Order: sequence, then structure tokens, then C-alpha cells
Amino acid sequence: MIDLSEISSPLTLTDGAIAVLNLQAQIEGLEGPGTSAEGAILIDLLILRGLILGRINDYERAAALADCLVSAAITDATAYLVRARTHAVFHRFPEALDDLDHADLISPQGAAADRERATILQAMGHYHEALATYEACTVDCGGQFERVAALAGFWAERGKTETAHHFYLDSQRSYRGVSPFPLALLDFQLGLMWMRQDRLNEARKCFRTAVRRVPAFAAAQGHLAEVDAELGESEAAIGRLIPLATASDDPDYTAQLARILGEIGRGEESIAWRRIAANRYDELTAAHPAAFADHAAEFWLGVGNDPQKGLRFAEFNLRVRKTSRAYDLLAKALDANTAGAASAPSFGVHLPN
Amino acid sequence: MSDHFSGPRALSEPSADITDVYAFPAPDSPSHLVLVLDVFGKAGPSAVFSDAVIYRFRIRPVDIAGTGAEAAFEPGQSEFVFDFTFDVPNGRSGSGRPIQQGRCVTPNGNTISFHVDNENGDANGGVRVFAGQRSEPFFLDVRMIEKTAATSKLSFKPKGSDTLYGTNILAIVIEFEWRKILKGGPLFAVVCETLAAGKRPVRIERVGRPEIKNVTLSWKQFDQVNKDLEIRDLYNSEDAFDLKADYFDVYRNRMNANLAFHDALDGKIDWPLDQHGNHPLTKLLLADFLVVDASKPFAEASYFEIERSMLENRPHGTPGGRWLNQDFMDFVYTLYVNGGNGPPISDGVDGPIAWSSKTFPYLAPPNPAKAPAA
Repeated sequence: MIDLSEISSPLTLTDGAIAVLNLQAQIEGLEGPGTSAEGAILIDLLILRGLILGRINDYERAAALADCLVSAAITDATAYLVRARTHAVFHRFPEALDDLDHADLISPQGAAADRERATILQAMGHYHEALATYEACTVDCGGQFERVAALAGFWAERGKTETAHHFYLDSQRSYRGVSPFPLALLDFQLGLMWMRQDRLNEARKCFRTAVRRVPAFAAAQGHLAEVDAELGESEAAIGRLIPLATASDDPDYTAQLARILGEIGRGEESIAWRRIAANRYDELTAAHPAAFADHAAEFWLGVGNDPQKGLRFAEFNLRVRKTSRAYDLLAKALDANTAGAASAPSFGVHLPN
Repeated sequence: MSDHFSGPRALSEPSADITDVYAFPAPDSPSHLVLVLDVFGKAGPSAVFSDAVIYRFRIRPVDIAGTGAEAAFEPGQSEFVFDFTFDVPNGRSGSGRPIQQGRCVTPNGNTISFHVDNENGDANGGVRVFAGQRSEPFFLDVRMIEKTAATSKLSFKPKGSDTLYGTNILAIVIEFEWRKILKGGPLFAVVCETLAAGKRPVRIERVGRPEIKNVTLSWKQFDQVNKDLEIRDLYNSEDAFDLKADYFDVYRNRMNANLAFHDALDGKIDWPLDQHGNHPLTKLLLADFLVVDASKPFAEASYFEIERSMLENRPHGTPGGRWLNQDFMDFVYTLYVNGGNGPPISDGVDGPIAWSSKTFPYLAPPNPAKAPAA
């Protein structure tokens, strides 16, 4: 059982609303012509805003700017490093690794690039290599917080709750900044870990901590809503999801909202949100198939109610990354398309493709 | 840039990233001293001060402890502190700026409450304060500075490109009658800090002199001892008035190496190293605070005049410190490259988008926001 008193450290952090205002101000201030280094910072900030506010168009813009940066400065290692990050965001892992290699060829990039490489290897399901790379970073250099936070995330992903929790507490102790974003992101990762273990109360505490630090943190709000609904608090979940579904261009919130509304018998509203989510998943899987295959598969296997389409995306997702969750998703898709299909939960009529 | 984006930690919290510090006698009132602390380089319109950061001005009386080759300062032990803190914004003004309030605690314990962006400032007990968004007063061509370091050749063009043109910062300005608020002097050392608030405030950044962490300490490639080490966060964490012996040699080696690199840029040596390999400016620059003589009348270009006079064994004639409109990059490259023994070196950027005025709050109003690139 997670002990929140361990989490509630005496850290002094910038208020989440100020942090978001200033993230916005940093982005606005770096718009327009600037140095290559400023371009790289702008790309990182767009990725961060995309992550916090759930804005896929920020990721898309970051990717476009990274391509421009590389075109304009083909001998600049930093340009390749940030483009690797944007490739990783869209799950274009081989291209991301190529860019990291290219950056290292131009000039050795050190611990920051190694951590980037480890994150990509982890996302691809190459856990041994990822862990070895994370641990090599410890010998090399880099901030203590970044090191232990990365390991907390790694073990959380692997479902090793005790080890992840240990590194989570370590990272809290080693944090020296005042920005709330790194800690909120870590709270979120721990919340996901507990959620995947079906330990919903622990998950809820972590998501609530993340939301307390940064109220606008869309993914934390969305997962908190999901947990609320699982724990029988559907109205609270709907209250959290409607603003997200309205403001975000990420269809996950719309899909969740459709599912919860369907489960409590508000069928017409559910169908309306489901249609919006379906259209958006189609757009996103056409534009960025690798990035959205897993979430689209989940959608079509669930409230989207098109198991065959779900299976296609689950198969594609496994080709992109051979993680344990990708295998689980494929198993779920196969089950929904074979013997289990008859007993699968029904979410109503098929939507037109 | 003067101290913009000076280290990984500063980058992660822009509202704690000190970009510049200025200290000068009030142009229209020689009995008043003005101190300015700028943070958040390239700040967009929504930028606000952090509620988790203390913005601190530290002032100590300072003596000249040596001149000539032994030129050095000796800061006193008494210290005068102005602390600024800010609330979480509440709503938006007519111009769209977040509405924020703040407080200044003066050295005698008075608290001045103020509204951010109030051009007239707020005053109490002989201290006038301003905090808000203003036009960036610093100007330089970063690309050509980087090219100079990369090619080991002075790369400035006759007409340079101002990297900070049309950008904004968040500024804090204090003006006070120095004889009433401070004790000792008239020579004072000024350093500004940002600290993570809390029971035991932790220093995030400190700035005294301009271009110490960027031009003078950031280049790693000339440092034969710590070629791979980013030392600026370490340097930031130190007390400017009490550098610890543990890392002093790390800073000294880096500074000696980078100053020697600059000296060689014109093909001749104007600053011969001593028998220990120390550059003549290293000791003075590692005394990383602005030294201002509050008894002297305002002067336009007086930064380092006190230090130069110490090196040349003569009395200083200006207030030293630093005024907002001084062309600092021309000054520092001329100082580092030829020590004033050769022609002035210009970076080709001769002014910001708007000059600072000689009336409170001195810095020009903020510039309009830029449109995103396509």
C-alpha cells in the first residue's frame, strides 16, 4: 500500500497554474527566428505542453519544426537529438534511434542522449538493453533526479511495484527544482503502474497528487476519471472528462467519456461522443499509425465496437513494439474476434468506417 | 547572453532564470541607488513570477583590498537584503496579462505590497519598487559569439543581428535613499539570487557581473582540466560572498582557460598569465558581484571602471556598477581581447529595440508578442 505521507514531501513547487502560464510564455517567447539551440528548446517545450495539456497538434508542430531544424543545420547534433525525441513521441522508434546514432557521430551526446536511447529501447520492449543503458547513465553523469526518475518509470512499466516505489521516493528526495512538471509526470507514471495492477485506490492517490501539482495535466485528469468510474463514481468521472473531451484533440478522453456514458445507460450521448472519437482515431491512425495503433485498437475493441479493426491495429502495434502490453492487447483482440466475441461487452451498433 | 539560459536548472524554471543585474545611482537623484533584477529571457505575454521563488537582492559594503597585480575586493560581513515574493495570479487585466500581486521585505523589515506591472511603482519607508514585464534591455549577436568560440576567430559583422531584438523579460526594480537604508559604503557589492522558497531556501541561481556564466565560463573546450564538465549549476549554487574552497580551482581553471582564449583572438597577448597560470582578470571576475560607488553621480558607461582603476593603481572616477544602456558586449570583448590596448571591438549590435529611460522604472515598456513561425 502506498503511503501518501511519503509522497507529500516538503518540496516547494511553483503553482501548477503559474507553471502552465510560464510554459506558454516560454513557447510564445521562442516563436519566430532564433538560434538552433533556441529551436531545440522550443521543440522540447512543445512536446512538454503536448504531454501536459493533451495536445497532439503540439507534437505535430514539434515534429515539423524538428525536420526544419535538421534541414537547416545538418551538422548540428542537437537538431538530430530533438528530432529523435519527436520521432519517439510518434513511436517511430527505428528513425529515432537512427537520429540518436547520427547525433552521436557528430559529437558524443553523453548521458542525456543515453537516457533518450534507453527510453526508446524500453518503449520497443527491449528491456534488458534499456536497463543496461539506464544503468550506464549512472556511471556517466547527469542529474541524480533524472537518473532515479527514469528508473522509477522503467520499473513502473515493468510492473515491479516495490522497486518502482523505491526509486519514486528516491527521485522525490533528489529533486532540486521548483517546476511541478517533472514530479507530476512521475506521479502519473506511478498511477499508471497501480492501475495496471488493478490497485485502483493507490492509482487514484497518485493521479490526484499529479492533478494537485498541475491541475491542467490532461492525462492525469483522464486516468483519474477512468479510476473514478471503475470505483463507481461515474458522475465525477464524467465531470472530469467533458472539459477534456471538449478541449483536447486527443480522442482518448472522448472515447472514455463515450464508454462511461454507455455503461450508465446514457446511450445517445455515448454514441455522439463515440462518433467524434472514431473520426479522430481514423484521422490519427492515418497520419501517425505507429503512435496511435495501441489506443485505436483499445477503442475499436471496446466502445468503438469493431473487433476486426481492433485486431488489425493490435497486430500492427505488436510489429511496432514487442512489449508485454502489446502482446496482451493482441491476445485481447484475438479473443474478441474468436470464441470470446460472443461474450464480449456490447457497446451498440457498428459505426461506419 | 548576459546570463540568459545559464545552466540546466535555470532552463527548467524560466521565472527563476536571472538574465541580468544592474546597479546605478538614480540619474536624477544622486542620493538614491537603483537596483534591477531581470529574469525570464524571451518571456511571452503570459509570463509571471513564480510563487515558489524568492527573488533576492543582497548588498554588502565592500573595501578595496589590493591594487595592481594584487587587485581584489573584500566584502564586509554586514548584509542588507531585499526579498521579493509573489502570489498566484488571479484573473487577467484588460491587456490580457495575468493579474499578480507581490511583496517586498526591505532590510529594515518593512513590507511593501505591490501590483505587478504597475508602472508608477509602489513605495513605503523611502523604498520604491516595481515588478513586471518590460522590454529586454540587453543586446548581442549570439550566433557570432558562438562562431567566434567555434572557429577561434573574431566573427562579428559590421552589422550584427540582435538575438534578443524585440523580446521581453520580467524585471524587478528598487530605488532607495542609500544612506537611510544601508550602513557603511559608499562602495557596495550587489548580487541577486533566486531561491526555492521554504523553511530552508535553496539557491537556484545567482548573478552579479554580466557574462560570467555564459561567455566567461560556459565554453568547455578550452579547459584542459574539466573539458566535459557543465559547471554552471555548481557555480550558481555557491554563495557569491563566500566561494567554497572545494570547487574554487574548477572555476578558476575554466575562467583562466576562457580568458586566455579570448586574449589570443587578435594574435597577441595583452593579459600575460602569472607564474601560476592565472589570468590577471580571474580573481576580480570571480568576485562575482557588481561593485557600485553610491557617492558618485550617474554615468552612462561605468561598468568595470572601478576594477580598471584598481588594476592601474589610480582612484576611480565613476560609480562603476552597471547602467541599463551600456553596450556591454562591445565592452567585454574589447576588455578580454585587447585590454583596451587595441581598437574597440564591436559585435555590430549597437542598441536594443528600445533604450531604457532615465526615469523610474527605467526599463522600456514590453514589446508586442511575436507570431508563431509557419
